[in-house]
Amino acid sequence: MHLHSLVLKDISRRKTKLLVAVLGVVVASAAIVAVVTTFSAATGSLYEESNNFGANIIVRPEVRTIPLVTGSTSMGSLFTGENYIEESEIANIYTIMHSSKLSVVAPRLYGVAELGNSSVVIMGVDPEQERNLKSWWNVKGNWISSEGLMHTEVMVGSDIATPMGLTEGSFITLRNGNTSIDARVTGVIESTGGSEDAYLILPLVASQHLLGREGKVSSLEVRALCNTCPVEEISMEIEEKFPGLEARSMSQIVRNELAMVEHTRSSAMAVSIITLLVSTLTVASTMLASVNEKLKEIGIMRAVGASDFQVVSMLFFEGAIIGAVGGIIGFIVGTIASSIAAPLLFQATPSPMWEILLPVTGICVLTGMLASVLPAKKALGIDPAEVLRSV
Amino acid sequence: MSDDKMMIRVQGAAKRYLVGTVEVEVLRDINMGIREGEFVSVMGQSGSGKTTLMNLIGMLDSPSDGNIFIDGVDITGKSQKELVGLRRRTVGFVFQQFHLIPSLTAYENVALPLVFAGEKDQRAVTDALERVGLSHRREHKPAELSGGEQQRVAIARAIVMKPKILLADEPTGALDATTGSMIISLLRSMAGEMTVVMVTHNRELALHSDRIVNLKDGNIAE
Repeated sequence: MHLHSLVLKDISRRKTKLLVAVLGVVVASAAIVAVVTTFSAATGSLYEESNNFGANIIVRPEVRTIPLVTGSTSMGSLFTGENYIEESEIANIYTIMHSSKLSVVAPRLYGVAELGNSSVVIMGVDPEQERNLKSWWNVKGNWISSEGLMHTEVMVGSDIATPMGLTEGSFITLRNGNTSIDARVTGVIESTGGSEDAYLILPLVASQHLLGREGKVSSLEVRALCNTCPVEEISMEIEEKFPGLEARSMSQIVRNELAMVEHTRSSAMAVSIITLLVSTLTVASTMLASVNEKLKEIGIMRAVGASDFQVVSMLFFEGAIIGAVGGIIGFIVGTIASSIAAPLLFQATPSPMWEILLPVTGICVLTGMLASVLPAKKALGIDPAEVLRSV
Repeated sequence: MSDDKMMIRVQGAAKRYLVGTVEVEVLRDINMGIREGEFVSVMGQSGSGKTTLMNLIGMLDSPSDGNIFIDGVDITGKSQKELVGLRRRTVGFVFQQFHLIPSLTAYENVALPLVFAGEKDQRAVTDALERVGLSHRREHKPAELSGGEQQRVAIARAIVMKPKILLADEPTGALDATTGSMIISLLRSMAGEMTVVMVTHNRELALHSDRIVNLKDGNIAE
């Protein structure tokens, strides 16, 4: 028999009474686990959604605006600067410090071409990169491939497909001045509500040839893999590395939403911490009552040789056991609560966060031990002679 | 009597308690000595200071004045930690109400002093239970034992550390006459191996001891 087995026997004898203390810890632990799990799932889901927004950085040639003023009369503005990015420079973007965070770099070339008697906006893209960026596009038919000019393929936005009678398999001829390209429509993009509804999308090489802009692109759409990465820093780095280019972060909306989630999480965490404090008091009061009940036993133990340290150790061990049991049950309850709350509140599906089981149980064990301080102080004040005389 | 033959020596010991604002003197100028292996009964009316004297000898309490020597060591002024160590090695207690821990078996109750002393070898528990004739009841909890059996478990617990002194405070007070006699016989059989000091009201039982010390109003009235 050991000192600890004495405590375990005592706990098993008084399990109904100690249940209140354990429940106090369960509530606190469950609250913490539910908050952490739910908000972690909400944040993850938000980032996932943000990835569906497409690019989070747009790189364009820097354009300076010079206001034209004569006396007190404004004559409009003059735009200066290079209007295209050299395609050969695109590979250099992977030399920035945060290059490992870059998941997609999609070049774009915009221009206007003639289709029959109408003018259409064409957008040249790298099909492979674009497909990674616009994974949510529903294409009726097939995506374009990067085949050469002999077999040019195009996709058509929904706003121009119907008026022009274009469907999958249609053949068209695009003209720009004396240059023309014959192409086959591989698919029609279902309406996205975005500008692409009015675009005719073709491979970058074909668009460069048609527009007479070989080796040029209008802009780059960049998606950085961002759960924690600093999009602003990446933008600044691109601007520093490529003078004459302007990199704009598009994460403002996401940041605002995250700030809201963070604010809610802070409030919920504050409530959890208050719950933890209340639970500490519950455990302390239960253990104090338990010491009062065990005055005689503690007196006997001290009379038969228990030292102050041993009496305190036993109470701290009891507090730790209450904390550990409450912490583990609380983890299970909190995880279940989170699996109900997260889909309702944030349309997120949380997974059990096993990595927080140990820290949360540790906090609960400490709580149990902290709650034992006052009872231990009381136990040390017990005079065995007096207790044994009075019973 | 020289100190080396004395197991217990009390020199001018007094004990005072504060009851509210009034100081009550429970023991006054007590001087006595008890030899090694002697069986002494302490008698006196309620409030005469018997149990207080027992607590002083058992190091559960400290005298307000005077000195107490246990096995030649002056325990007066020693720290709580030192007294705990000394008490473990030197004194075993038997109480009127047995004071066993209800959740523990007879064996575990007897093993308690060894557990607190950090002793891993618990064969002494079996020996102590055999000594009081309760080996067959070792797995029973106090509620499953008769009063006499409970007191025998308490005696086994008191002797498991092989103390030099066994202090018994009204050990038969909660038992019928026949069982009480058995307990006294058991204590009597232990005298010689250890010094036994018994507090009792019962003169008939006290006659089994080597010597009787009478206390009256906090003084020895031999």
